[in-house]
Amino acid sequence: MWRGLPFVLGFLAAAPSPSVNPDFRNIAREAGLDRSFPNGGAVSKKYIIETTGSGVAWIDYNNDGYPDAFVISGEGGASRLYRNNGNSTFTGVTAEVGITRSGWGQGACVGDYDNDGYPDLFVTYWGQNVLYHNVKGKRFEDVTERTNLLQDHRRYNTGCAFVDYDNDGHLDLFVSNYLKFDPATTPKPGANPYCWYRGMPVNCGPRGLPFESNLLYHNRGDGTFSDVSVSSGVATPNQSYCLGVLTGDFNGDGWPDIFVACDQTPSLLYMNQKNGKFSEEALLRGVALDENGNALSGMGATAADYDGDGNLDIFRSNFSDERETLYRNRGGAQFDETTSIAGLARNTRFVGWGCLFFDFDNDGWDDLFLANGHVFPEVDRLNIDIHYKDRSILYRNLGNGKFLDISEQSGPGILEKHSSRGAAAADIANDGSLAILVNNQNEPPSLLKNHNKPVGNWVLLQLEGVRANRSAIGALVTVTAGGRSQRNEVRSGGSYLSQNDLRLHFGLGSAQRIDSVEIRWPGGGVQTLRNLDANRVIRIREDVSSAQAGH
Amino acid sequence: MRAIKRSLVPLALSALAMAQPSDLLDGLQRFQRGDYAGAEAQFRDVLKKGDDATARTFLALVEAGTGRCREALPDLDKGFSDNRGADTQRLAGLALAQCQIRESRTEDAFRTLERLKTLYPDDADVLYQTARFYMGAWNQTVREMFQKNPASFRVNQLSAEVFETESKYDAAIDEYRKALAKSPQTIGLHFRLGRAILMQSHEAAALREALPEFEAELRLNPRDAAAEYEIAQVLLAEQKADDALPHLQRAADLAPDFPEALIALAKCRAEHGQNAAAIPLLEHAVELTPRSQAAHLALMLAYRNAGRAQDAQAQKEIVDKLMKPPEGEFSEFLKKLGERNP
Repeated sequence: MWRGLPFVLGFLAAAPSPSVNPDFRNIAREAGLDRSFPNGGAVSKKYIIETTGSGVAWIDYNNDGYPDAFVISGEGGASRLYRNNGNSTFTGVTAEVGITRSGWGQGACVGDYDNDGYPDLFVTYWGQNVLYHNVKGKRFEDVTERTNLLQDHRRYNTGCAFVDYDNDGHLDLFVSNYLKFDPATTPKPGANPYCWYRGMPVNCGPRGLPFESNLLYHNRGDGTFSDVSVSSGVATPNQSYCLGVLTGDFNGDGWPDIFVACDQTPSLLYMNQKNGKFSEEALLRGVALDENGNALSGMGATAADYDGDGNLDIFRSNFSDERETLYRNRGGAQFDETTSIAGLARNTRFVGWGCLFFDFDNDGWDDLFLANGHVFPEVDRLNIDIHYKDRSILYRNLGNGKFLDISEQSGPGILEKHSSRGAAAADIANDGSLAILVNNQNEPPSLLKNHNKPVGNWVLLQLEGVRANRSAIGALVTVTAGGRSQRNEVRSGGSYLSQNDLRLHFGLGSAQRIDSVEIRWPGGGVQTLRNLDANRVIRIREDVSSAQAGH
Repeated sequence: MRAIKRSLVPLALSALAMAQPSDLLDGLQRFQRGDYAGAEAQFRDVLKKGDDATARTFLALVEAGTGRCREALPDLDKGFSDNRGADTQRLAGLALAQCQIRESRTEDAFRTLERLKTLYPDDADVLYQTARFYMGAWNQTVREMFQKNPASFRVNQLSAEVFETESKYDAAIDEYRKALAKSPQTIGLHFRLGRAILMQSHEAAALREALPEFEAELRLNPRDAAAEYEIAQVLLAEQKADDALPHLQRAADLAPDFPEALIALAKCRAEHGQNAAAIPLLEHAVELTPRSQAAHLALMLAYRNAGRAQDAQAQKEIVDKLMKPPEGEFSEFLKKLGERNP
């Protein structure tokens, strides 16, 4: 009998937690997120600018350990920052902290660009972007001009991400651009074949409108940036309509690469050449098109090692009558589309935007959330199964390379119908249960909180770079617990024009202790912590004193 | 002058004008201006002085354009036959076809249009007139069928096909079901019904509803590669790749030149770790459909995964070319317009 006991215990430790469906409810109103955010027409839209906004961001601006919520507005409203009170409620602090800009806000990303210990906020616009410098967690200061981020013409900026592409410890900034848009010259609905949808005149584009180039700003380390878009290679090819930005070290060489989801044109994968330049290689690496050779309408993108093979895979949200796209990384950033065999090919009536891998039940496998909503409010006149406002989608990761659509069994929050855009996740109560913030056009945002306690254990890792950038953006973390290893990166931007909590959340299943946490810091230093308790937030500062730092 | 548009003639006139006597030139200029009565008088004056092929052809063009097809036909016929390679031949041919249609000489019109298509395969006017001709023939035949055999299953089948082209899939499904009730053994009906069901809905239930139709088609015609392929597509969408594989294999065996089946079979093979077996299938698919992005992309990835970097690169370059819109495509035109504006 005694011989059998260790085997039984080992089995129990590795056994997957029983699957319990979540009960996501929209707690936005009671949490204090009750203001609407205008974004163009709600019944019809005249111009494409009314269709793409906007994103959301989680930023712990006051370093109190609780992520605060930033929601972006289109024209006619104000983007707002809400301070997390630590009890799943929020207080609006927009004016108090000095966030002042209005206009056609699009996306946001977070990173401590000046390494002063306080995360800064970058917001993209059709028009001039804004860099808000976080002044000691008390207020934000518009430093756009001072940091050389003024643009020479009106651009349709969309996604963004802070990324230390040269591993010098200073966060650089990538900004995707959609197209050249001017309401004075853009054709009106119905004006040409690109202004029709299913027999209805609708706003024109993106096809038929001129392309715009993407931007990369190099952080000089003195509080200013320089535009290196052309010299770095990201300004070419400018033949795609670019939206969601997703950074990651997809080939595992220690240098961050950049994936951009593009609308009706090939998506882009800028591979870091380690010399300040990027090479666009999406087609040969298998992430430009779908498996049928079509350039789909890419909106958002998210990354995870969904199949546990140690490589970062990419998911992209697309348009209605298209499949979502899952690209499995075979290693070395060689991707194969696995949408169909992973069980993601069936939801083709939705226009997908915000998308994120996150482990809602803490079973150690990243599940997948999608926020949906059509670009044309006019579609409702057709009385078909495609709608302007639609529900979200939640897939459970089955841990065998496949997903199960559990949207209908996941609570009323998932089934609420909105015309959603950006979405991002954070552990707002530091209780191991991730919540999702969703920007809904012309409505208050949704804050989806799981009312069923996740069955698995968890850990939340808050990293601080020392030699690396202070936000630790680009740090690759491997958590080993219960006989499994999981990987993820600290990432700025992502989803659809949005920002997740910079802290990394790992579900641990039934494991109550963590065998090891290995961090490969940007620049190459490796740090390992062993034998840690689960179910808590762990703050890890880069250790540059020991040999293992290895720079 | 409805039948012959002025836009057709400037090229012909500019070429002709250089070498013509003044009466004829005057007639051509009047013709171009739309002064058809004046042009006719000039052409008749020229012809009084002696036979002139150009004057005769343009006089016939005026007659045709002013509704006198019967008078015009002999000289249009001659003009189409005699002016080989000249733009006048194209004009005469187009007018000849229009007059033949108007005079209900359907078989003659068919022959004229086929010859025009051979001589001017990319000409928009020729293609337009040909399309109109076939559309007229289609309308007439449909009318006859509906009048003479209103209860036939073919009426339901045709109605369904029309509804499909209008994206009215609910109505198409109803008509296909009526057709099947009247003629359950007709080959092709179950297949079309299955396709319409898949087109009608985005829901997973549509897969379950369509599958029996493709299976029924296969029972009627066990050598139907397309039905095998559709069954495989449904099974793939239901994540039953192992079940789909034999159907794809049979589709490829039954129709070795069916590129979609070859590509799908190759992908299935690759997903089962048989990349080497996928490559010859895809190489054959690109031979069959050299302009298929899907085929070249799949072959590129198969070469890449086999470590054949140069071959993969060559396929990538083909995909790159195929992705570029053809010269003069509408989007390029709009893009250029847009780039001038901001």
